[in-house]
Amino acid sequence: MKLQRSAKFALAITASAALAVSLLTPAQAATRSTVILHETNAITGLNCSLSATNSTTCSAVSYLQGMGFNYYNNKKELVKNTVFGSYKIVKNTKTDFRTSWTVNPGRVWSDGTPITGEDLLLSHVLQSDAYSIAAGLGDPKSKTAKPAFNGLGYSGVYADNIVGEPTLSADKMTVTLRFKKPIANWDLYGPGPASVHALVLMAEGKKALGTVAENEAARDRFVAAFNAKDSVLLKKIGKVWSEDFTITTVDKTTNPLLLVSNGGFILDSAVAKTSVTLKKNPKYNSGPAMSGSIDTVVFKFIGDGTAAAQALANGELDVYAGQATADGVAALKKISAVNVVGVEQVAYEHWDLHYDTVVDEAPYTGLFSVKDGAKSLALRQAFLLGIPRDEIMEKLIAPINGVTTPLSSTWVSPGSALYSKVIAANGSSFLTRGTQASRNLTALNLVKKYYPNALKSPVKVRVLVPGNNPRRASEFALAKANMAKIGFDLVGDVRTDWPSLLGNSNYDAYFFAWVASSVTQRQSAEVFDTNGGNNILGYSNPAVDGIIATLDTPLSEAILGAKYIAIERLTNADAITTGVFVHPGVVAVNKDLKNVKPGPLSPQMVWNFWEWTY
Amino acid sequence: MFAFIMRRLGVLGVILMGSSFILYNLAAYSGDPLADLKTSTDPNRDFLMISLSRELQLDVPPPARYFLWLKGVLGLFVGHANFGMTREGATVGADLAQAIPVTLRLVLASTILAIVMGIGIGVVTALRQYSRFDYSMTFVSFLMFSLPIFWVAVLLKQYLAISFNNFLREPNVPLKGLFLLALASGIFWASVIGGTRKTFWTVFGTATLIAGGMVAIMDAMNWFLHPGLGPIIVGGLSVGIAYGVTQLSVGITNKAALRASLTVSAATLLVYYPANWVFDNHQGALGVFAIFSILITVGVFAGISFSKIDRGPIIRTAVLTAFLSSIIIVVDKFMQTWQPYMETDAINYRPVPTIGQRSDLLDTQDFWVSNLDLVMHLFLPTVALTLISFAGYIRYSRGTLLEVLNQDYIRTARAKGLTERTVIMRHAFRNTMIPLTTIMVVDFAGVIGGALITERVFGWSGMGTLFYRGILSFDLNLLMGVFFVTSTLSVLANLVADLLYSALDPRIRVGSGA
Repeated sequence: MKLQRSAKFALAITASAALAVSLLTPAQAATRSTVILHETNAITGLNCSLSATNSTTCSAVSYLQGMGFNYYNNKKELVKNTVFGSYKIVKNTKTDFRTSWTVNPGRVWSDGTPITGEDLLLSHVLQSDAYSIAAGLGDPKSKTAKPAFNGLGYSGVYADNIVGEPTLSADKMTVTLRFKKPIANWDLYGPGPASVHALVLMAEGKKALGTVAENEAARDRFVAAFNAKDSVLLKKIGKVWSEDFTITTVDKTTNPLLLVSNGGFILDSAVAKTSVTLKKNPKYNSGPAMSGSIDTVVFKFIGDGTAAAQALANGELDVYAGQATADGVAALKKISAVNVVGVEQVAYEHWDLHYDTVVDEAPYTGLFSVKDGAKSLALRQAFLLGIPRDEIMEKLIAPINGVTTPLSSTWVSPGSALYSKVIAANGSSFLTRGTQASRNLTALNLVKKYYPNALKSPVKVRVLVPGNNPRRASEFALAKANMAKIGFDLVGDVRTDWPSLLGNSNYDAYFFAWVASSVTQRQSAEVFDTNGGNNILGYSNPAVDGIIATLDTPLSEAILGAKYIAIERLTNADAITTGVFVHPGVVAVNKDLKNVKPGPLSPQMVWNFWEWTY
Repeated sequence: MFAFIMRRLGVLGVILMGSSFILYNLAAYSGDPLADLKTSTDPNRDFLMISLSRELQLDVPPPARYFLWLKGVLGLFVGHANFGMTREGATVGADLAQAIPVTLRLVLASTILAIVMGIGIGVVTALRQYSRFDYSMTFVSFLMFSLPIFWVAVLLKQYLAISFNNFLREPNVPLKGLFLLALASGIFWASVIGGTRKTFWTVFGTATLIAGGMVAIMDAMNWFLHPGLGPIIVGGLSVGIAYGVTQLSVGITNKAALRASLTVSAATLLVYYPANWVFDNHQGALGVFAIFSILITVGVFAGISFSKIDRGPIIRTAVLTAFLSSIIIVVDKFMQTWQPYMETDAINYRPVPTIGQRSDLLDTQDFWVSNLDLVMHLFLPTVALTLISFAGYIRYSRGTLLEVLNQDYIRTARAKGLTERTVIMRHAFRNTMIPLTTIMVVDFAGVIGGALITERVFGWSGMGTLFYRGILSFDLNLLMGVFFVTSTLSVLANLVADLLYSALDPRIRVGSGA
């Protein structure tokens, strides 16, 4: 015993000595210039316009590598990139609508080649179905054969409205597009620069960067082929464009022509399914000047949220972005040296009621069928009143981002001046007036009018419940509990293949989220238009269709707001849908890293990379 | 024998065909690849759907589409198998070729560790049946067996990575931690060695003091920042290995074997400085290989020159000592690399990573630094996988050894007056290995299938990730590619296990009864 005690004593002295020694070792201070970003999904290629590669991660990576005429900021505003160039409407009549796009002189690609208007022409090849057919590159809508440029850009607003080919000005810096009528959000349908000289060189089998003279000659060959619709060269370029960019490993053996870009960063290396490393582009002058201290950006792909949060805590990540859960946010907030920022996503959750038969589905004769006239309207109104929106917000959303007010518009997202104007007048007050208890009472009276015995033998409502989603399971449980108080018995059908069941006549109600990839005047038009591609309720209202038809031309915000209000008054009067919440996201950033302002629209996190600094 | 193998291979083909057909159709009908697009508000949504249907040949019904897939796979026999393209535009073959080595790297070390540790502890628990050690290991093994890997991983990351890295900022072991470590070590060794109450307390006291003292000294020397063994400890460890290996293989009383092994230890000490010079000045696997070869050659010659009769076991002992001693030298080199590794910008004094296969930012040509980086990234996944999988081996080897020890031939061996070492190592242990071998073979085949959850929580992308991706995105070609590899391997592994069994146990013959 004696020995042990003295041994302990000796140990204590040694340990204290060790403590003293280690206090003398200097603390480490390093100036960092690297940002490591977290992405849930890996990139699957460098050209994001293919169905194999299209993803938000790909857009973010390619945004760092390429600047065009405009970009979305964190407030969902489309910002003009005046450093790169300018654009304007040059002719605006009912049948002839022209926009011109001018590249500022002196902009260069990362290989030193000047950027000109000729670099904007490839956009047309990628978007116009008519050009693809005329140049012998294949019909993009064919069910059997792929077009030469096997991309996702075809058959959109651009293809539907473009007239002829873009014309190049004499100084080759301006491209003018002609549309058959004024189109809304015309600034989204402009051309983007593409390093066509690199594509041509690759199509000709080159494996190394050319000189500026060679590059300009290659570009001239493209322009000649473009004008002559020379399918031989274009097909070769199409093959390169469609197939050569689906690489996920980039190292010293990669063809440098694949990496020519005009963004703030150029791709330095990539490890398949693991990470992508970008280094500062020394020749970058196509966008706002780099004011920060960042010279390397790494995207790390980590599928598991907890793992990513721990990597953040261990300093292996600087920025974490992920699906938000209340527990996850709480865990992130516990990490010191990290700022947690709530961010809204572009998906909005809503409840929909079946209205009428959807095309290609069995006839809908359920509870909410419009054929039942006043009865079904009353039941629809009761149902919407019975959705405990405040409770859902309070229990499922507020713990994540503190938002407690439910979403009251399906056309405008919260946070803008327009939103408050719209919800004040769109008829949504019917659902927000009073407390949930008073709304329950109103709802119960509506139900009792047709089912006097509803509380004892409740009316069954068949609901499609998206499976594999804990938040939606809770949402359904809350709704079911409250609906019992107003005489509805929600019968949930939990399906993981729910998207293909939308519109199915076996359901009376749905709840899920629509996802938007851009902000346009038409917004939710496809959902409410009688022939809309997303009309899953069989909803048809000629008055609504009439207003939607006028959304195709450019409108001022005031007029647009008035139109949205008019549409929503009609849809709210028909009681077919209500929003609940905007999907919350969460971003956690290393405290030392400044100016990271995540936004909801692609390119989300990285839109202002030039401002980032330590 | 030949007929047996051919018959089994034929059955293999039928099983693979049938199961792949069923799986293909189940997977194809299980979900809708167009589901994402159905909730999209893109204006050209219809075009996108046409385009995707064209890519995935969705117009062909799944049973017929299976044969399109099969046609490509059967190209295997004419030299150009075509597993199709993934939805992400890569060939399935390329994805598999990339994933298999990653998976092997992830699971190989942990599988070997689990087998070695599991069998080792299993044997000790069987020999100390119903002792404190046996009970505590039984408890631990059941505990580990029942732990989910994702939870173990979270804990390991929290304590072995995040907290340990924080600790390295000011690396001094708190007094409480020091005592706990010392006590744990004391209890462990005392229970392993066992014996009378007096031995128990003696062992406990010694082990506690040694462990506590070592940690205190390491702490005082700032060992956690500049670890290393140095020539003296390397030599000491090598001598320890020499004694241990000799005792287990031929018995310490065999002076020739002991001398041969000790000669190898002396050679280890001699070669220490030259080895480090080689490691620094001629970096690469070749240098490491050279050190291994030199020591093993020394072992062979020492074995030959010290032995007069019964050369085989003695040479084997010396070679094993040489092999283990070389590992010590390499480990020492890695420890010396620790500080330069921590000082790199990419690591910045946080050397234990929680995620990934390597550090993306580490920009170095140094063989040792870049390999230490790989080792560090393997560290946590290996610990986690070993922890949860070695429990099984403990139970198997303990049970088998206990059964073998009750056999008549063991009693006969003891009655003949053989030493306990010979009875255990030669008569009992070898027979224990027969059933264990078959388990190991099947385990190795399962390993290729990937550790889906482990890969996911540690951010690795091997076979498990491919499988997960295949399911999640309804990527039939990818899913079937993974399935093809894993199912072929598991069927083959069963065949190999059968053959091995008959090779190890002369009582069993393949092909009989057909």
